[in-house]
Amino acid sequence: MSLATYYFLTITAVYILMSWGLYLPYRVAHLHFLTVANMLISGYLSGYMVQTLEVPFAVALLAGFAAGGIIGYIVSLFIGDAPTFTVVIVGFTFIYISRTAVENIKAVGATMGMFGLPAVSGSPVMHRWTILILLYVLVVVVGFLIYRFEHSRLGRAASAVFVDKDLATSMGVDIKRLGRLLQTFSSLVAGGCGVIYGFIYRSFHLDFFTFHLVGIFMTVIFVGGYATMWGTVLAAPALYGLSLILPPAVASWRIVIYGTILIAVLVLKPEGFITRRLAYKLETALSRRRRR
Amino acid sequence: MQKEIRMKKKVLFFLLILLIAVSVVMVGCKKEKAPKVVVEEWEIPFLNSLTGVIASIGEYLQWGAERAAFEINEAGGIAGKPVKVIGVDTALEPQKGVVEMSKIVDWALVALGPVPEPVIMAAAPIAVENEMMTMTATTSLEYAEQFFPWSISWFPATKDRLPPLARVWAEDYGVKEVVQFVGTYGPWPGMAAAHVEGLKAAGATHLGDIEFGQDVVTFGPLVVKALDMKPDGIIIAGWPDKAAKIVQELKSRGWTDMEKILLFSSADDAALYTTGGADLNGTIIYNYINVDQDTPRWNAFKEAYQKDHNGLQPPSLSTNYYDAVYMIKRAIEETGVTGDPKKLKEERKLIAEAMLNMKNFEGLLFNWDMSDGVPTNKPGYLFQIQDGRKKLVKEIRG
Repeated sequence: MSLATYYFLTITAVYILMSWGLYLPYRVAHLHFLTVANMLISGYLSGYMVQTLEVPFAVALLAGFAAGGIIGYIVSLFIGDAPTFTVVIVGFTFIYISRTAVENIKAVGATMGMFGLPAVSGSPVMHRWTILILLYVLVVVVGFLIYRFEHSRLGRAASAVFVDKDLATSMGVDIKRLGRLLQTFSSLVAGGCGVIYGFIYRSFHLDFFTFHLVGIFMTVIFVGGYATMWGTVLAAPALYGLSLILPPAVASWRIVIYGTILIAVLVLKPEGFITRRLAYKLETALSRRRRR
Repeated sequence: MQKEIRMKKKVLFFLLILLIAVSVVMVGCKKEKAPKVVVEEWEIPFLNSLTGVIASIGEYLQWGAERAAFEINEAGGIAGKPVKVIGVDTALEPQKGVVEMSKIVDWALVALGPVPEPVIMAAAPIAVENEMMTMTATTSLEYAEQFFPWSISWFPATKDRLPPLARVWAEDYGVKEVVQFVGTYGPWPGMAAAHVEGLKAAGATHLGDIEFGQDVVTFGPLVVKALDMKPDGIIIAGWPDKAAKIVQELKSRGWTDMEKILLFSSADDAALYTTGGADLNGTIIYNYINVDQDTPRWNAFKEAYQKDHNGLQPPSLSTNYYDAVYMIKRAIEETGVTGDPKKLKEERKLIAEAMLNMKNFEGLLFNWDMSDGVPTNKPGYLFQIQDGRKKLVKEIRG
């Protein structure tokens, strides 16, 4: 596999996972940008563990997941049922706080960043295969869990909360508990992603985790479709790939192109390319074929 | 008669010996035939940020590299073949930088960039793994050395090059107590620490640092905090527009000794002058190129730059990739690199080795030597700003 393909596939997988990390809380109308801070915190934590404490990568990865989950859970105790705007503010604030904290911690390279993270398994080639397999196993596992969630009572409850919180409460949905569950799960996934993201580059720099990432994940969700998990799977490779294949003369108009696509989608197909109806139709068609 | 014949024979024999001797010497001295260059054109990719928040910097870095290519082509090219600099936009995104670098390592002999630090950190390891020289000519040694011997530094170690500049400023302007504004980005806190070393050497006191991030919009409270420490000198190490705003805040709060404000090199960009305007008059700024130099080569560069940029002076970093392209030219010509794709690996190594210890490199503004990837004898300059222009105050070497 060429190096370019490897980077395309790995970063696409990170985009899918992180966009799902935003998508899930959005099922209850929460824009949970805390996930970007989770990426940063878990990433730097794992980098420190592997490089300075010489802890095996697998342990550092688990620690990254755990750190994301714990932070997500603690924060969700306060904002599990908060209005959308509050969740947004908390997320942005955490990005600022975590960036500033890292800027001042010399042990993790402060503003300079962390260089030369070791390969996770022997040679550079093995490192790449390990990261790639790990990421796509994660995509399958997280995708499966989200799929099961969507088709469960919890998923239907989330849809009810998205439409009308009061109505959902009157039907017996525990809004806070549901919000906590989704936020914690998202933060957990983001924590793991942060670790792998740094090990793709084998370095960490604060500018790997900017608000720009929020913009990318939001675009992926809203262009792909915010009402199903499948929109992300379509939009992440398409949007990332687009930025790579644009000819140089057009590339400088990239942001305009993205903006136009986003506006066009919001106006013409507000639910995004993959709507719930389309996903339902496809699922029905596929299950019919399977039965035959 | 026989004597005459014998004499002639002797002369002929002597001439024959002489001819053979001359031939042997000639053959021995004959320059080894240079390997044949197989490329029709030398293509040098430049991983640059041509769009995004530092697009204006990326533009003049690209301009410098292309200017060098233009001049080289006018003069006959590299080893007789024209050279082309191919701008590859990373848009300041590591995600894009790694994919672009992955494509480049498949074919390029050497690359310019990446720019700036986040993209360097993500993409330069790919060049290292593929043993290709990648010339990170805008970052500090502390970043570049992570990728040695497949990168070179454009600057000596921060701890060596900055203390003398701060020391001379403090001594010449009688600065005794200094507060420093420090932007929290990449190598800047390290540069600020090096300023403090210079201040100590001058016998000045460092009263403290005031850190600020890229998101800071208003500097009133930070400037009040600084003035509260009662400094008689200020050093500003931060983004150009923000450095200008700090100067304006200081002035608006009664600061008059403008030469007791020292701006660091990374602030020396168009945004400093457009934001600061006349408020910057009298302040001191240090940098590594002397725009007032009067040499035909520099004058031609300056004139061309001003023609393409509405009369603006070339910024300090505009010469870096210009020199980098000339360094590539010299490395190719000295090592006899052919550009043959079959010899890609060995020719990459030849180029890297030639650059790491290149001696007496004729840069646009001065000559310098490389020693294991680090420049050894580059000067620094103190300037005074007046009406948007820099006037040389002093040249400082080590």
